Amino acid sequence: MDISKLQDKASYVRLSALENAVRAGKGHLGGTFSCVEILVMLYYGGFLKITPETANNPDRDYFFIGKGHACLAIYPILYELGFISYNRYMEYGTDGSTLGGQLDITVPGVECNTGSLGHALGLAAGVALASKLDKKKNRAVALLGDAECEEGSVWEAIIFSAEQRLGNLTCIIDRNRLSVTRIMDDSIIFSNFCKKIELFGWKCLVIDGHDLNAISDALEFSGVVSKPTMIVANTVKGKGVSFMENITKWHHQVPTETEVALAREELQRVSS
Amino acid sequence: MPNSNDIRDAYFDTILEEVRLNKDILVLSADMDAFSLRVLEKEFPSQYLNVGVSEQNMINVAAGLALSGKIVFCYSIAAFATMRCLEQIKVNICSMNLPVTIVGAGAGFSFGYDGPTHHGHQDLSSMRLLPEMRIIELSSNDLAVKAVEYSLGEKGPCYVRLDKGRFPNWSSQKVDFNKGYRILRPLQKNNIITNGFMSERVCCVADRLESTGQKYGVIDLFLVKPVTDAFINDVLIGSDLVISVEESCVIGGLGSLLADLICAEKIPCNLHKIGAPDRQFIEYGTREWFHEKYKIDEIGIYNYLESIPEELGKNSLT
Repeated sequence: MDISKLQDKASYVRLSALENAVRAGKGHLGGTFSCVEILVMLYYGGFLKITPETANNPDRDYFFIGKGHACLAIYPILYELGFISYNRYMEYGTDGSTLGGQLDITVPGVECNTGSLGHALGLAAGVALASKLDKKKNRAVALLGDAECEEGSVWEAIIFSAEQRLGNLTCIIDRNRLSVTRIMDDSIIFSNFCKKIELFGWKCLVIDGHDLNAISDALEFSGVVSKPTMIVANTVKGKGVSFMENITKWHHQVPTETEVALAREELQRVSS
Repeated sequence: MPNSNDIRDAYFDTILEEVRLNKDILVLSADMDAFSLRVLEKEFPSQYLNVGVSEQNMINVAAGLALSGKIVFCYSIAAFATMRCLEQIKVNICSMNLPVTIVGAGAGFSFGYDGPTHHGHQDLSSMRLLPEMRIIELSSNDLAVKAVEYSLGEKGPCYVRLDKGRFPNWSSQKVDFNKGYRILRPLQKNNIITNGFMSERVCCVADRLESTGQKYGVIDLFLVKPVTDAFINDVLIGSDLVISVEESCVIGGLGSLLADLICAEKIPCNLHKIGAPDRQFIEYGTREWFHEKYKIDEIGIYNYLESIPEELGKNSLT
């Protein structure tokens, strides 16, 4: 799929996420919008070898998402690719829904139950280890939020993955620089982050997380190195809607009617 | 049946045999040592992995391995194997119902000198909180062997409360996991429910009491979760007096389990709980020293049972 079509997919995902959040009156739009291009490249760019037909095939690629509250970006993709039905897709946010505010394994294509941060990389490392032991060619990919890196278990997994030389493991960090309440600047954890990660024994790349070409190149690279690869994707929380960008309250705020109209207009403008 | 009397070797020697037969079985440890593990590491290096001192990661990696079709055993000290990584177990093992057996060494006061961080008094209660978890407590070497077969035979999470040191071999006693318990001394109206390390001790107490004309049944409730209907119908219903003896905190452990059952099933029997008090023990000593101090040694249990008035076993609830 060429870049312009992938850009269209990104617009489709953002608009769908907005409409679903508004319809349901709930959702985490900020962190959803920041990782859209990453997800689009993984699913539509040919990097995740998984289809509705192979969703339970042991040779599939495994994708673990730590920041499961960004599910609003996943659902439109899973719906469009045929993993979930229209009826189920439309259940989001309703009482008794089978599609919630976090991902779970009842959703075809979803590999783990989410909601608690810091688990995805360890899970992906376990899959990568199993594939390595069985000499399989599939890959394990984890997507983490940047604030999620405050969890100690992430670092346990970083050490473990390096120790086991899990070259079939890729970790992408959605570096949108905001947690629920705080600015995640370049001090402490993200001070010389790549250097630290490489000292642990990983390969580390820093890219523009909204640049589809850059994401593609980084994923391509991660597929050929013998070490685990960390991709720090610099992103903007709330990307695509000007008044949501880089503002903490849009972590989980739902826009008013006026704001929805404005957001829709901005996203449609990009789309067209 | 392994020759060693150490229950850890009885358990891990059995795992070793299973590893030999099935390349999809993996054993992870968080920097733990045991003779059988060394053999395992040497003979099957691709099926044994020491993940280092990182229990949370051990559980997450185990979940990933299990999602890829592996059957995983995770081994660490009971207190760390359960509470340090409780959320990882809840979310990544239990909520996805994965075939991972968590093996906790060091029940109760068995690491007495190492302080409350190492005491295994809340492992049972924390594992009981998890709906999908099966829980086994081991009282003898033959049971250790059967427990491996059980956890491999039933898919899903399992917690095994493993001890260390010399344990009896009760091969002559039938172990039926469908029943979840075994009768060590014949059922009476007054019955002691115990398991693990305390089982052998409680048998000694019951034998002493019998020599003075007081008859107590002794039941080893080795399958703590799920409790079977057979245990409720054949043991609890029909008992006038039930006494739990455990090397766990009396809050949330075996005694609490019996209280829950008696309440839920409206069983008209009296319950007494003998176990470790509800506290963290910032004091140091041998296991025996702790047992004597907190009256869960043979004399302490004997005296407690002697002190129960006859009528309490018949009519009233305490």
